[in-house]
Amino acid sequence: MSGRGRIELVGVFKRYPDGTVAVNGVNLTVEDGTYCCLLGPSGCGKTTILRMIAGHEAPTDGEIVIGGENVAGRPPSQRGTAMMFQSYALFPHLTVRDNIAFALRARGMAKAERYREADAVMEQVQLTALANRLPAQLSGGQQQRVALARAIITKPRVLLLDEPLSALDEFLRLQMRSELRLMQKQLGITFIHVTHTQLEAVAVADQVVVMAQGRVEQSASARGIYAEPRSAYVARFMGGQNVLTGKFEAVANGQATLRGPLGQQFVLPQTARSAPAHPAMTFAVRRDRVRLAKQAAVAAPPVNTVFGTVKAIEYQGIYVKVTLALVMPEGAVNGADEFVVYVEEGRYFRDPIAIGEKVAGSWDIDDVHVLTGGPSAGPVH
Amino acid sequence: MSARARVVLQVLPLTAVLLAFFVVPILFVLAVSFFHYDDFGVVPAFSFENYADVLSEHLTLDLYLSTVRFAAIVWFFTLLIGFWVAYFLVFHVRNQLVAIGLFLVCTVPFWTSNIIRMISWLPLLGKEGLINRLLINMHLINRPLEFLLFSDFAVVVCYVHLFTIFMIVPLFNSMSRIDRALFEAAMDAGMSRLQTVLFVVVPLVKSGIVLGSIFVITLVMGDFYVVKVMSGGGHASVVSAMFDDISVLLFPHAAANAVFLIIIVLMMVGLILRAVDVRKELVDQR
Amino acid sequence: MLTATGKRPWTFYALAGFFALYVAFLYGPMLCIFILSFQGQGGALVFPMRGFGLYWFVDLFTQVRTGDVLGAISRSIPLALIVMTLTVVISVASGLAFRNRFRGSGILFYGAIASLVAPGLVLSIGIGLMFQLLGLPQHWYSSAVGAQLTSTLPFGLLIMFAVFGRFNRAYEEAARDLGAAPALILRLVVVPIILPGIIAVALFGFTLSYDEFARTLQTSGPTNTLPLEIWSMTTNVTSPALYALGTVTTAFSFIVIAISLTAIALIQRRRFGRTLATKPPVAAGGGAAGG
Repeated sequence: MSGRGRIELVGVFKRYPDGTVAVNGVNLTVEDGTYCCLLGPSGCGKTTILRMIAGHEAPTDGEIVIGGENVAGRPPSQRGTAMMFQSYALFPHLTVRDNIAFALRARGMAKAERYREADAVMEQVQLTALANRLPAQLSGGQQQRVALARAIITKPRVLLLDEPLSALDEFLRLQMRSELRLMQKQLGITFIHVTHTQLEAVAVADQVVVMAQGRVEQSASARGIYAEPRSAYVARFMGGQNVLTGKFEAVANGQATLRGPLGQQFVLPQTARSAPAHPAMTFAVRRDRVRLAKQAAVAAPPVNTVFGTVKAIEYQGIYVKVTLALVMPEGAVNGADEFVVYVEEGRYFRDPIAIGEKVAGSWDIDDVHVLTGGPSAGPVH
Repeated sequence: MSARARVVLQVLPLTAVLLAFFVVPILFVLAVSFFHYDDFGVVPAFSFENYADVLSEHLTLDLYLSTVRFAAIVWFFTLLIGFWVAYFLVFHVRNQLVAIGLFLVCTVPFWTSNIIRMISWLPLLGKEGLINRLLINMHLINRPLEFLLFSDFAVVVCYVHLFTIFMIVPLFNSMSRIDRALFEAAMDAGMSRLQTVLFVVVPLVKSGIVLGSIFVITLVMGDFYVVKVMSGGGHASVVSAMFDDISVLLFPHAAANAVFLIIIVLMMVGLILRAVDVRKELVDQR
Repeated sequence: MLTATGKRPWTFYALAGFFALYVAFLYGPMLCIFILSFQGQGGALVFPMRGFGLYWFVDLFTQVRTGDVLGAISRSIPLALIVMTLTVVISVASGLAFRNRFRGSGILFYGAIASLVAPGLVLSIGIGLMFQLLGLPQHWYSSAVGAQLTSTLPFGLLIMFAVFGRFNRAYEEAARDLGAAPALILRLVVVPIILPGIIAVALFGFTLSYDEFARTLQTSGPTNTLPLEIWSMTTNVTSPALYALGTVTTAFSFIVIAISLTAIALIQRRRFGRTLATKPPVAAGGGAAGG
């Protein structure tokens, strides 16, 4: 079943008259009733895509299909979409009830009738007690619920959220996050939520779409994005991974052997190819799956091991973040010169390490994840 | 309708009014400045005689010197007073509501009649005025001070009274935009408060000073009634001479004077505007 | 400005004193004629007060020799209302257009500023000449309106710039998203939100017109507005009737100002709480965060 709120973007481009390309060929499918997050740094095109789905901007090329209908040329109010703005944009001169009933007033509904509908929606989001207040008299969480109610009164099939949590302080953000998730489950409609916060996206979304420079880097479930990033960019952007490169040497017994820049030997699980087209391969190792040991204690010859000096130690509560400075030869191409290990807190404090110590980090072959797309990576923070 | 058509429709009234009641009248003034005046009235012509008159008359130079002198003195005092009033309101008053309230107190007289405000100085400054009486009663002087009224002093006092608000508003606006953290940074760096004012505040409110100066100077250059009333006929200004001309229907001569004044004032404003991009300051676009 | 201890520096007291002097300088003279206007029949133009009463107010409105005050008022107030209305409508429309740069916006802007700083008498002469040479009659309700607009419109424009500069366009987008047509958005969303600004423009329009002298001098036609009447009285009248007129007209202005400012304050308070914020508290995210 295709579903009323199923969204398909086919070959969508957005070029501006001055030459900038905000969206550079995006193909994306979001199933009906999914909570989808568009995730990426500033300027990656996520908000532009949101606004094109909404109808506030038009694509220069490509198609946007909602619920099986091509919505090209239709104004925002005729797409079955509703948008929740970053600053909520609650009309400051109208009460909560009038704010919520606004869409109905725009359609010419009589006052008694639209107030009835507004009251019903207010019941749904538990705002009835605040019906006659002005936005200035509401807390941040209450304002978000009004913005939500205002958007859903038209019974949209898709709700578009433009960085809904960015303006809130940390504590409120976590609270509001779960309210949004709950709302989506209750309403059963598609949510498209734009954010630049990685952990927020994986917390709320069924489907995470990582974007960079106008293109989709990867679209997968939250766990898929985090644990199995497809490219070096996604791996670096999501955090939690170390990205390493090595030159392909041989393949045998379902395992490929690479030679690292310092002569280290890396063994990876073999992918389908017998020999890759590009001799330099990239792979990712999760930061919490690396074991640290003093360099002297490492068996030789080391496989799936890197050597480095401890550069920084950061206590993060549940784990301790240890950053190693790897020794790299001159002219090493796109090699990482930093290697980060998340050491479980208890284990760290049983045998603490000091800055400047020479240590070795090693991992199992099962914890290696092969990346596609070469060692290149876009801007990360 | 298209966006372009809507914009045109929206600015049409403003454009029409400015054209009809500003641009075209100035053109008429320009035209009349070439007309001829004979015993029977104004005669359309194309003659430079009025300009010749204006440029050769000694009176013109006197008037301009006098008016520019007033403008300079008034500019100095309005800037001095305006700066410190704005400074006080922005940086010394802690409660923002109180600051706005006091600012409004300064602004309210602007919304009343200038002529009334001008004549309200009469019972104060005259020989029998309040100030003279007080000074005599306090035995500070024996005879009333004559220079208080119908003099240059009275004119300047009146100008300052009327026009300081035009300095206060842009300065208040500019000062409000200064990041307060700069004061602390200056303090950390060891600057005294006076140095902070001179080296931190003044450069940052340049645009406010420019805007206020343009207002004050053009207002003084364009005034005719303050000078007429408060100087008791002892002085005239450029525009008051124009007023006298048209009272006897000498329109061509007044017109030539007007054109000349406009050129001079435009030059003055142009010089001042080299300092800052005024539109950016005023419009505050994102 | 605080010292580390939170106590005020000596400069605060010095500047506060200076400010108080300035306020006294501003209001003192008006206070004097206010007082002097309540003199009795023997009153003069200077202190000391001679007698006490409403004599000169009566004199003002009844005596022919003091001029046609009532007539002048009966023209000044409607004129001010007309100018106020036109100023509001034209300023709002222009302000809407100026939100985006368009071809000619620079010229129009500088033209408006030029119109504001141009010497009033010169403009007045020009308009008078224009009407005369075109053979059109001048009246307070036609030529004077145009002349006064040349000073009220620039003020209105500047105020609208400030208002729209702070106006969050997300409100309009939200309204559009909810299905409202442009005309409805203007009526239901934009105008109510900028209402305080509109009141400010109306205040400027009304008071500047009501007190406008230089530009009206040659353009009011055969009848006088109040400022013109006052001007002729300054040369003719040598009695406190002039002061009485000053008191009456200033009191009227104060009432108009008080009503406007109170309306603005009430609206702002209701919408934005006790602060002077221009956006509702908490979720003031502002501008787009790229992407």
